[in-house]
Amino acid sequence: MTQAVALAQQASTGVSQGFKNRIINGAMTIDQRNAGASVTTGSGGTYTLDRWQGLAEQASKFSVQQDAGAVTPPVGFTDYLGVTSLSAYSVPSGGYYAIRQAIEGFNVADLNWGTANAKTVTLSFWVRSSLTGTFGGVLQNSANNRSYPFTYTISSANTWEYETVTIAGDTTGTWLTTNGVGVWVMLGLGVGSTFSGTAGAWAGSNFISATGATSVVGTNGATFYITGVQLEVGSTATSFDYRPYTTELQLCQRYYLLLVRGTDVYFSNAYYYGNNNLYGHITLPVTMRTAPTSAIVTGTNYYVLWYTNTADYINSLDIVYSNSQNVSFRNTTEASGVAGNAGGLFTGASASFVALQAEL
Amino acid sequence: MYKLLKGMRNEVCAISTQVGNVLYSIPLESDNTDYQAFKKEVLAGAELQDADGNVMTQEQADDFIKELP
Repeated sequence: MTQAVALAQQASTGVSQGFKNRIINGAMTIDQRNAGASVTTGSGGTYTLDRWQGLAEQASKFSVQQDAGAVTPPVGFTDYLGVTSLSAYSVPSGGYYAIRQAIEGFNVADLNWGTANAKTVTLSFWVRSSLTGTFGGVLQNSANNRSYPFTYTISSANTWEYETVTIAGDTTGTWLTTNGVGVWVMLGLGVGSTFSGTAGAWAGSNFISATGATSVVGTNGATFYITGVQLEVGSTATSFDYRPYTTELQLCQRYYLLLVRGTDVYFSNAYYYGNNNLYGHITLPVTMRTAPTSAIVTGTNYYVLWYTNTADYINSLDIVYSNSQNVSFRNTTEASGVAGNAGGLFTGASASFVALQAEL
Repeated sequence: MYKLLKGMRNEVCAISTQVGNVLYSIPLESDNTDYQAFKKEVLAGAELQDADGNVMTQEQADDFIKELP
């Protein structure tokens, strides 16, 4: 086969060389927030590994941890997202437990969903559970009023299995193609009847899983591990789209950017705008989805400005100005220096932590 | 509980809230989901303080929220 023929065939099957997999961190390698630590989900959405959110009606029903249980990942992967059920919870009709990822509208604009030209997509992933049976998930729009429930089967307990689901694109409904949520991809862990729908068809409803799916949170200690998640254009699952680590990290940083963690780490210059008024500015390494929220762990002497052989310890920082490319921070509570002096801002404690979030 | 933050020109430029030992600063940006949640929660009765720490009445808070982007 000539290269020209091969390229022509790829083009005809919709295989992209640029951004085949619309899922970010599908191989579960990046965990900026928790660095591999376990997270117990709260009620609502709790971010876990980068881009992956635990969705729960009630808190503390399951935990999520990168490489939980320390099993060997499928061949070709080094990490997975591990869910562990924390109780034997009987999910009521209005209950819902799932992991999910929001794909930004810009990254699915070419699917043409909501039009007559809607493209078919295929979801594929590796999954391993202590439970067997029929499991469920959905694709959903941002308004939660278009859902496609699907099922897949786990045949053998504690064994990695490869799953594929092909979904004809939705020709109706509103699907954002902006920096809002384009498509939700959800995998149910126990969903009540109110939020469960018939598999295999688009519905004008807010479904989170398919009717009859197995409840992971229904069994204390049950596990559900997943990796190699890929959503691609076309009706056939193709090989996982391995992107360079730096590329994958930068894709994650558009939504969550860990600036600094740990002690004695420089992270910005700063200056005294007034004697008790410390300011600094950081140009971000990526353009974030929108102006970010800062999340800063506070504590006595957690941050320190070193200037003219002097250490000025402070407890926290406020981000007062931000856009998708820059943030300005300040401290007006503990800062004590001389207006006009400047220095380097460092972390001062092992628990020091500064991050920015612009999640969907 | 939320608190307004003022900037260099004494204008309201962000919102602060603390959960445990994590301090969040939220920009006044309509695409920011934390900002969207802030507006919903204040309208639903969450406490809002001005930049000096004075607690706004619900009516004051509602009026303030309605003027935001």
